[in-house]
Amino acid sequence: MDLIDKRLLVLVPAYNEEGAVGQVIQAVQRVLPGTPVLVVDDGSSDETTATAKRAGAEVVRLPHHLGLGGAVQTGYRFAFEQGFERVVRLDGDGQHPAEEIPSLLAKMDAGGYDMVTGSRYLERNGYQTQALRRFGGWVFSIILRPILGKRISDPTSGFIAVNRNALAVFSHSFPLEYPEIEALVVLRRKAMSFAETPVHMKPRLAGVSTIGSWSAVYYMVRVLLGVLVNVIKYEKRFHTTPWAGG
Amino acid sequence: MERIRWIAAALCILLLLQIIRAVRREHIRVEYSMAWFGAAAILLVLSLWDAALQWLALALGIEDVSFVLMLLAGLVFLFTFFRLTIEVSTLKDHNILVSQKVGMLEWEIRRQEEALRKLRDKAGDK
Repeated sequence: MDLIDKRLLVLVPAYNEEGAVGQVIQAVQRVLPGTPVLVVDDGSSDETTATAKRAGAEVVRLPHHLGLGGAVQTGYRFAFEQGFERVVRLDGDGQHPAEEIPSLLAKMDAGGYDMVTGSRYLERNGYQTQALRRFGGWVFSIILRPILGKRISDPTSGFIAVNRNALAVFSHSFPLEYPEIEALVVLRRKAMSFAETPVHMKPRLAGVSTIGSWSAVYYMVRVLLGVLVNVIKYEKRFHTTPWAGG
Repeated sequence: MERIRWIAAALCILLLLQIIRAVRREHIRVEYSMAWFGAAAILLVLSLWDAALQWLALALGIEDVSFVLMLLAGLVFLFTFFRLTIEVSTLKDHNILVSQKVGMLEWEIRRQEEALRKLRDKAGDK
């Protein structure tokens, strides 16, 4: 990866996504030819790593399953250590359209934001999630509004672009489970800027969601607790890095 | 002495023996056995030492001496569990970091091997 332009890395965290990850990588390569794609295989038991390599991605394979946050943070850590300026993260299931990556980056450049999230609810078009999940997202956006100081329409979106300032923070402080919402609070705590841009999401190409109907209750409680903890957090564990303050 | 205190003393001795066995077989690291040794020893002493327990009950304003023993047992083990939860959380943080580093180092090794192979191929061509 030495000779490749290090301004942008596309990060694809994947867990048992052999059915979709290849198409995701090819879509990125069509939209952004020559841009390095890093797949973080979160200890998959299927052929995710082999499929991603065949499609032309770099692969960091974790020795065991860490969860989505652990996989995403691995990518952020990798990008930060390798000197990348920006990272766009999209899921390995094909829901996040690669052709929307330029609009995320354009929004980031236009507003000088540290993080830009692709929202499926700003303009109600493209694939919409189940009603229960939309309701959950709405509840979170209400709760988050006073904490974040502004309304976020799609706080659970994992289609995200971050700059090097945000990479510095996230490579050292990132939630392990269901990281998207807590990550917003982490950025707010660091007085960093973020915004949303409308995107057209697609249905997943293969596999099933990690959040089932029963685990939705756990998800809500876990994330709310995580948000609360992040609001009152004392960051001794992560204070060792002088640049962590952004 | 009340029967409950004899039972508590017997359980503490059993716990101490079990801890010693686990440490000998290296199922528990010595540093993590300290909290359990301390908890079991304190409860054993109090369940056998009548005067100390009476004094403690008086100081706490509790009439039932056995209740004091049970209360202390609960508090001591609650504290021990809390300490261990902190240890587990710290270990999980370390585990995440190590796993991420392993993944990235494996990528780096593969990259170096590939570069070496290309160099060898080039040298072979010449």
